[in-house]
Amino acid sequence: MSVKTRLSMLAAASAFSLVASASAWAEGSLSIYAWADSIAPDAVAKFEKETGIKVTVDAFSSNEDLLTKLQAGSSGYDIVTPSQHFVKIMIDSGLLEDIGASSMPAFQQILPEWQKQWWDPTGNYSVPLAYGNAGFTVNRNLYKGPVDSWKVYFEPSEELKGKIASLAQPDEVIPAAQNYLGIPYCSEDPKEMKRVLDLLQAQKPFVAAYSSDNIENRIGGGEVAMHFWWDGNTMRVRRNDKANVEYAMPKEGLVGWLDSYVVPKGATNIDNAKKFIDFMAKEENATIEYNYYGHSSPVKVDASKALYNKENAPELFPTAPVKMGQACSPAAQELVTKVWTQLLQ
Amino acid sequence: MSQRPKIPSWNVLGLLPAQLIMLLTLIIPVGIIILVSFSTRGPYGGFDYVFTTAPYKQILFNEGWSGELEFNPQYLIVVARTVILSLATTIICLALSFPVAYFISLQKTSAKMLLIYLVTLPFWVSMIVRVYSWIIILGNDGVIAKTLRALGLGENMGSLLFTDTAMLIGLVYSYIPLMILPVFASIEKLDPALVEASHDLYGSRLTTLRRVILPLCRPGMAAGAILVFVPCLGAVLEPVLLGGGKTMMMGNLIQLQFGAARNWPLGAAISIVLMCAVMIFLLWRGIQAMRKEGREEGA
Repeated sequence: MSVKTRLSMLAAASAFSLVASASAWAEGSLSIYAWADSIAPDAVAKFEKETGIKVTVDAFSSNEDLLTKLQAGSSGYDIVTPSQHFVKIMIDSGLLEDIGASSMPAFQQILPEWQKQWWDPTGNYSVPLAYGNAGFTVNRNLYKGPVDSWKVYFEPSEELKGKIASLAQPDEVIPAAQNYLGIPYCSEDPKEMKRVLDLLQAQKPFVAAYSSDNIENRIGGGEVAMHFWWDGNTMRVRRNDKANVEYAMPKEGLVGWLDSYVVPKGATNIDNAKKFIDFMAKEENATIEYNYYGHSSPVKVDASKALYNKENAPELFPTAPVKMGQACSPAAQELVTKVWTQLLQ
Repeated sequence: MSQRPKIPSWNVLGLLPAQLIMLLTLIIPVGIIILVSFSTRGPYGGFDYVFTTAPYKQILFNEGWSGELEFNPQYLIVVARTVILSLATTIICLALSFPVAYFISLQKTSAKMLLIYLVTLPFWVSMIVRVYSWIIILGNDGVIAKTLRALGLGENMGSLLFTDTAMLIGLVYSYIPLMILPVFASIEKLDPALVEASHDLYGSRLTTLRRVILPLCRPGMAAGAILVFVPCLGAVLEPVLLGGGKTMMMGNLIQLQFGAARNWPLGAAISIVLMCAVMIFLLWRGIQAMRKEGREEGA
């Protein structure tokens, strides 16, 4: 290809993209930054059709990534979906827009137990979209033993050497270890946190990978026998991919989370963001979202169309206690980092 | 002595775009990183413009578990691992590239073009996809494990994936084209008459390689070594995807500070240390090259 044709093609391509973005501007746009695969594409398509607003969805895989992006400023996103403890940190750091959520129609759809919780006491910043918990999943082809305690995960038996996987971030792994050891979340006591480090260090020879990506293949395909994971994701791999996996119900407690729609400070399309939040909270759309995402819904869903119940999705109805993750003080966070750095140094 | 023609002052303006790009994409960002590295960390990440040298002290000294400040080599261990892995990668790349480049240089022109094109082909694919493909190759159900099992070997062999070896394979694979190309360029420039002369003077094949070919190809090898070693120091993907995230390299350590650790100033300080290390390495190479040139001119 000659330089000339290449240049003209480039010019044509950029002209085309200019035109494309101009038409998107005309009807308004909305950019969402959400957990990977968390927003139902069908619901997004329906929203675009009803409103003419062009929606783009990008994915993140950890709360920390999201927080860093917002702190760096002008992320360009109109809606993001952090977990509860990060909602609190973001509100306290002035990173979120007060959208008056408690007077939006969406607020009336939220189940009473999730309204105005400690992470958003006025209820003005956030509307929840899903909740669940973090625990561990076992591949039943490779592991036949009991799954009623964190002991089998943190202090595994010899045959599980190199057959366990953890997450790449300490955010949920350390609270799980604290549940097992009977230490409160966000402990500021170095002695207690040293015990957490000792536990994780003793577990390390058994760990094949600390990774938050590609988990379904690793546990479903049998690369590892146990994986730190979430309830709904386990259910989806079991149902959709027919993987022989089971979600553990450790008696020491699962680590609870709840993700919410929030609007970053300085977002350009706040009205569109509120429209989308209201749209997703409507019962029929919330049902589409619930059926797609497979995590419990904190807003009302249409029970006659919901796919999951206690019989076919026991993962979503935990029999073990669930303890919600907390927003740690800087001193406690420092200890968490210290444990993680020394674990992976 | 001839008078140098005076450059009209507007010619300097012609360089303005280049200078602007340097300023906007290099000098200002590095300046910001330096600024952050001397700032005070915010309670939940971010930073405040309050001058402190604490981030640099933190690289070496940390509060121990009992609460007092003590020397802590945890970050130095990561630095040492990074340098060792990068050096190993460079050496392996060099050893593999030389025969490949030599082989390519011996081909007909058309075949040469094709082979060089094939060497650059991986660059057309995203780095993440390329590294991911090794997960499939090295995994439990991967090509290697299956072949070994079919041959009745490696029945008890653990997975190749998530080991330091896997990490090294990934690094070598990612950066080897950057070594092959400059080495090939210098072999191409090699005058065959010199090789013939060596043979005429009863130099054995090994002697010819050692005394004639290798010294003449040194500039290409040096350029390749820099091109491989420097990006290796900042590798992030390979340790996470192929090493299983069990041990950190400097790139991961910096990422951790900006993410979960919420300590941006420390992350910036480590970045600056990494950058200085690279600059010292390059300066040292540059001075060496200059001295060598001086010697040759003097001779």
